[in-house]
Amino acid sequence: MEATRVQPSFGERLMLNLRSRPAAWIMIAMTLGFLVIIGIFAGPSQLVNTIVTGGMWALMAVGLALVFGVMNIPHFAHGDSFMIGAYVAYFVFTPIQASLRDNPNPVLSAVGPLIAWAAAALVGFVVGAIMEKLVFYPLRQRTRKGWVMNTFLLTVGISFVLVYGTNLILGPNFRGVPNYWNMPPIVIGSVRLTMERIAAFVVAIVAIVAFWIFLSSTRTGRAIRAVAQDEMGAEMVGINLNFIYTLTFALATAMAALAGASLLFMFPAYPTVGLKPLYFAWYVVMLVGLGNVQGAIVGGFIVAVLQTLTQQFFGVSYEDVVPVVVMILVLLLVPNGIFGSEVKGIQEQ
Amino acid sequence: MSMERTVAETQAERVSGGLWQGIKAALARIGFSPIGVVAFIIIALLPLVPPFNQEHITRWLVMGAFLGAQAVAFDFTAGYINVVNFGFAAILGVGAYTSAVLSNTLPILIVQPGLPPWLTIWIGALASGLIGFLLGMLTLRLRGIFAAVMAWFVGIALMGLATNLPKLTRGSLGFAPPPLLNTTNNLPYYYVALGILLLTYICLRLVTNSHMGLAFRAIGQNIDAARASGINPTRYRVINFTLSCVFAGLLGGFYAHYIGSLTPRTVMHTSKTVEVLALAYIGGRGSMWGGAAVAFPFVFFIEFLRSNLAQLPGLHMVIYGVLLIIVMIFYPGGVAQLYSAIARRVQRRAKGG
Repeated sequence: MEATRVQPSFGERLMLNLRSRPAAWIMIAMTLGFLVIIGIFAGPSQLVNTIVTGGMWALMAVGLALVFGVMNIPHFAHGDSFMIGAYVAYFVFTPIQASLRDNPNPVLSAVGPLIAWAAAALVGFVVGAIMEKLVFYPLRQRTRKGWVMNTFLLTVGISFVLVYGTNLILGPNFRGVPNYWNMPPIVIGSVRLTMERIAAFVVAIVAIVAFWIFLSSTRTGRAIRAVAQDEMGAEMVGINLNFIYTLTFALATAMAALAGASLLFMFPAYPTVGLKPLYFAWYVVMLVGLGNVQGAIVGGFIVAVLQTLTQQFFGVSYEDVVPVVVMILVLLLVPNGIFGSEVKGIQEQ
Repeated sequence: MSMERTVAETQAERVSGGLWQGIKAALARIGFSPIGVVAFIIIALLPLVPPFNQEHITRWLVMGAFLGAQAVAFDFTAGYINVVNFGFAAILGVGAYTSAVLSNTLPILIVQPGLPPWLTIWIGALASGLIGFLLGMLTLRLRGIFAAVMAWFVGIALMGLATNLPKLTRGSLGFAPPPLLNTTNNLPYYYVALGILLLTYICLRLVTNSHMGLAFRAIGQNIDAARASGINPTRYRVINFTLSCVFAGLLGGFYAHYIGSLTPRTVMHTSKTVEVLALAYIGGRGSMWGGAAVAFPFVFFIEFLRSNLAQLPGLHMVIYGVLLIIVMIFYPGGVAQLYSAIARRVQRRAKGG
């Protein structure tokens, strides 16, 4: 029997989260200020780029936060899910493109990219489920001792196998799709918006919102959240833990694969393409607090703004150096992350 | 008469037995079993015996000793306090670059102090230790995963810095530090590398055999219980992390002056850390010798793959990954556990008759 309890909406939950967190307020205010600065000094097209990138980092980080929050796995192979998505989208979309060249079809040319993205998400889902059943399930059966560190090492191993396995089979060549749609960019004032950018942003937002609705208003989604809060309690009320774990991991992998597929025009597929998305997803998750899914959504945009600022004022080569300075400040001042971690026992003192 | 002889014999036996036990105890204090000593002597004599006395095979052996020593230093942190130093290669690179810059005599860079490499590798070790100390102070009061991820971030940043300061390091153009020894022969380098391996192993083993090692083990197994028994986890973890980084820096200095060419990517990249990590865990966490023992056959195996299956680049990396996964899930003790299981069986059979 369903209890008719009003679920707090995303906005309400975020506000609840923020009320007691000055660091989050300061960071969000600074981010908005920086957005204005970017808009004025770097031009509105940079502003649009920043927002598109933010959506993608948010999509990546949500998966990472989910896997840590629910399963306590610090997922180091999340970038390789991105890579898998990019490859699947390439191998699905290229034949579609070739067939379109011979006999044009307006419907297929509009829907073709979406088919490729759906295929990438589907393959990501299946790969994630297989990974969980093949690697984490046996470990969980054997022992839960030292779980976080052991699974971290396992994901490192998975990452190595996926990256160098892909390199072995497909070679180190770049496989990219410069544009999904043969459409002229939409021009608003001085901003040129290509269809790919708009679509990538829309997909990220739709995926995040759909995921949020799934988590907050379906039975299975609530079960996932229950497992994240209290594993033993969840098991006691009859939730099938193994099913929830596999589903969670598969969903996270699918989201990363979707990100990889929709960003194929920016990041061509090659074996180590996932490193940068992985790095930024971890940056988001550490910044907002490990395992905090709502925080990860906002954090994606914060990180994208910081990234654009670094590129504008220090140069692209310092893109790896500035995050460390930010992280040191976070660890010194708010080690739980600016939105607070939803995993117990961050401090070991 | 016969009686007397028996007594004398037993006495002699007892004396020699006592001597044998004494030697065994002394060896155990520095972490060696008699079989370990024999194995080490065999490895040390290997490049003098054909077919191993060729230059390129001696070079593999040097790399084996280098990787083995890295695995020992890595396992000192990973196996004892259960913290994965995911920026290990970058911290090693700090030692390498510090030593290389301080010993530089070529007018290609802004500084040419030209100190002797024998001195600078120790300064490099201290520089790495300092980085390790600061990183440890920042992250080791938090859960272990923070240290791992932060070390990864810092590692990537250090690699970025090494690339972005071409006036100091020549960036990705590559920097040629002066050689450590006045020879192009690999054999003397091999004995230096073995010496460093031995030094790393014995120093770290002396630490783990002291009361500090007990504290490390307690922290690694159950941090709450360790805290309850009066151990300050942060302090011991920082000491452990710093020591491991000091030896990483020393190894980096050796590598810089042996290879004679440094680029940030070939020394400091995360994949180098993963190689060492895989070796240490396959060798057996918490054993320290396991990684070193596995390193030599692995180097030969990798070079064999590289020369015979050149059309499959990076195959050894896949094998590393698969072995790491299998060991982590099914046999967490690694090769060291396998060895002790076999040794126990042999002993039981010998006793049983």
